[in-house]
Amino acid sequence: MTDLAPESTAEPGVPTPPPAAPSGPPALHIEGLRKSFGAKRAVDGLGLTVPTGSFYGLVGPNGAGKTTTLSMATGLLRPDAGTITVLGTDVWREPVKVKSLVGVLSDGVELFDRLTGEQLVTYHGLLHGMDRATVVQRTADLLELLDLQGTGGTLVVDYSAGMTKKIALACALVHAPRLLVLDEPFESVDPVSAANIRDILEQFVRGGGTVIVSSHSMDLVQRMCDHVAVIGAGRVLAAGTTEEVRAGSSLEDRFVELVGGRRHSEGPAWLHTS
Amino acid sequence: MVAHLLRLRFRLLANGLMRNPWTLVSVVLGAGFGFMALVGVVAGMAALSFAEPRVAWTVAVLAGAVTVLGWVVLPIVLRGMDQSLSVSKLRGFPIPPQRLLVALLVVGMLGIPGIVTLVGALSTTLSWFGSPIALLAAPIAAVLGVVTCVAASRAFESVGAALAAGRRYREVMGVIVFIPVILAGPIIIFAGSSLAALAEELPTIARVISWTPLGAVWSIPGDLALGRPLEALAKFAIALATIGVLALLWWRSLARLLVSPPTASASHARSKGLGMFAIFPGTPTGAVAARAAVYWLRDPRYGGSLVVLPLIAVIAVFLAVTESTWMLAVLGPFVAATLAITLCAEVSYDGTAFAAHLATGVSGAADRAGRVITLAIISVPAVALATILPLLYLDSADAIPATLGIGFGLLFTGFGVSSIASARFLMPVPAAGESPFKTPAGSTVGAQLRMLATWAIVFALALPEVVLGVVAITTGNTLLGVITLVLGILLGCALMVVGIRLGGALLERRGPELLAALHRARGA
Repeated sequence: MTDLAPESTAEPGVPTPPPAAPSGPPALHIEGLRKSFGAKRAVDGLGLTVPTGSFYGLVGPNGAGKTTTLSMATGLLRPDAGTITVLGTDVWREPVKVKSLVGVLSDGVELFDRLTGEQLVTYHGLLHGMDRATVVQRTADLLELLDLQGTGGTLVVDYSAGMTKKIALACALVHAPRLLVLDEPFESVDPVSAANIRDILEQFVRGGGTVIVSSHSMDLVQRMCDHVAVIGAGRVLAAGTTEEVRAGSSLEDRFVELVGGRRHSEGPAWLHTS
Repeated sequence: MVAHLLRLRFRLLANGLMRNPWTLVSVVLGAGFGFMALVGVVAGMAALSFAEPRVAWTVAVLAGAVTVLGWVVLPIVLRGMDQSLSVSKLRGFPIPPQRLLVALLVVGMLGIPGIVTLVGALSTTLSWFGSPIALLAAPIAAVLGVVTCVAASRAFESVGAALAAGRRYREVMGVIVFIPVILAGPIIIFAGSSLAALAEELPTIARVISWTPLGAVWSIPGDLALGRPLEALAKFAIALATIGVLALLWWRSLARLLVSPPTASASHARSKGLGMFAIFPGTPTGAVAARAAVYWLRDPRYGGSLVVLPLIAVIAVFLAVTESTWMLAVLGPFVAATLAITLCAEVSYDGTAFAAHLATGVSGAADRAGRVITLAIISVPAVALATILPLLYLDSADAIPATLGIGFGLLFTGFGVSSIASARFLMPVPAAGESPFKTPAGSTVGAQLRMLATWAIVFALALPEVVLGVVAITTGNTLLGVITLVLGILLGCALMVVGIRLGGALLERRGPELLAALHRARGA
């Protein structure tokens, strides 16, 4: 993990993403981001530019620093060093302005799960300072969109894992953000719901929004995202349009090639029953 | 299989201890105390061999019955105390229920509580040196007694789990079961005055209990020693029947749990509307207040923190009956001081769900104010009632304004101070869904000291109205009392607003650090 060159932001061979449509600043721009937990360097000089209007996939092995990076980009975790701007606004200088532009689905945080699904989405909307009539209307729309309208009265603590993900997505969408940052949004979501969520996200991008998703599913990212960044050991190993990054092969093969660590073995003989 | 599970059990215990040296130290200390207590029990039982058999029999029956009861009640109260070998974890393995039952029984007996009970029970043998038959029967009865304990504990646990896997049931039970435990102290003190009379009655009570499943098994050696072989035989039958019924109950619920995991009742409830969110104003502050109100109603940890209030009231009434009425007279301020700092734990109760507040960028002041509003709705009437009712009862209505002034002063000042305190540091609290009375991981002396410091600051800031109020009450000056009331409310509210502002600003500044600390607290 540590045999990479110390200079990380300007590695040769890393395709730089084409400049976004010159309509404005990129949706997310990260430079020289660092974060350590004790002796462990979780994010080590990471740089990333997410063009406005892109559907951006973030892939990387476990412990690569995806969640840490996304937490810092959304104002949930203070970086040790580096700058992060969302649509031209510095996340850590003007956090409130940025947070009104960004919708967040965090992986590994609890929800206020003693609320019903309907109450939870309403709560998020009201915390954003929206008026109640709008919040109520949007909550109803989102519950319907995510197939949760039948369970709006159930406490979130009694939801299944997939339903919990969907309600968290509704919470991220309720204030109509311009940038959606979704950490593992498809984990334990059933295929039908996943397809529905994809439709919603694609529609969101067509409407001018920007989506960043982190995922372990290479197939999904390859099909869904127009841009992708491969993260390993706290830095960007490759970034650009999906076509550029996968360079002719499949994203999965390219990922394994970049990250390394694949072993070729057939397992012990007793596992082969025939 | 049995040996396997037993080894797994000890391995889990050892690994748990090795995780953190301080856990090990505290466990060793606790084990030391436990060991000394056990030595005391053994010595006491040996000493009983010099007393007359009737006394030894009474002690054995009563202590034994309490032990069985403890084995049944404690796991329900301290839910999650030791779930390392719960049925849900073993469900995936191909183990027939009968084997599992035997294995869990042995594992239960050879866990630390089991060994302690077993040693204590076997030590009753020492009481019967005067009677050879009883001396022979005692170890057998002791082992049967411990089997009863473990079987009863497991049976009630798994019957409970099979019957009501509902989260709501567990939460309500967790609180309800604790109320008699908390009230037990005062009740015993109440009874203490007539304990001498009660001592006379103990053999009679033991006689009744010895015929119940709780006491039958413990009664056998004593009955033999006292020359009642037929009774001993009958109680032996009761004891065996008890174990049989418990085993059957346990086995049946175990068999059911093994094939059908208790699922949370997936009630697809239609929307019940917004509830509290429709009542409170549709602003960020109103939303936080509404959310806190829902949690006060639904999260047992919030309500559980109020169990001390009836306790304070009971102690005050008790003191009023026996000694003096001073505590009853100042019950209001007492309740106010207790309620004032409950806010300190609020962010800790949120856990990492607090990320929602951080991600939405809600202002710190709105966060603080919302929590204060809900607590005020609960606590202002509570303080008013706890002040006015006792004073009316004590026929000193003229002290009401001054006492109310002190109470509200402390309460509002406390809101302000704890609004800052809870943005400053976290309290170790049980995680959402855990028993509200479970001692949370990382309870430290430091947290207790910070809590005390918060309290000291509250009292220091509320000193003007407290002093004025005391003067008003001692001189009986009603005008001064009214001034205290006005001063308490005004000064308290001013400090509350300042606290909400400062605490809000602090929260905005330290939000990410607070969330990181919450993550660590949950990861521990």
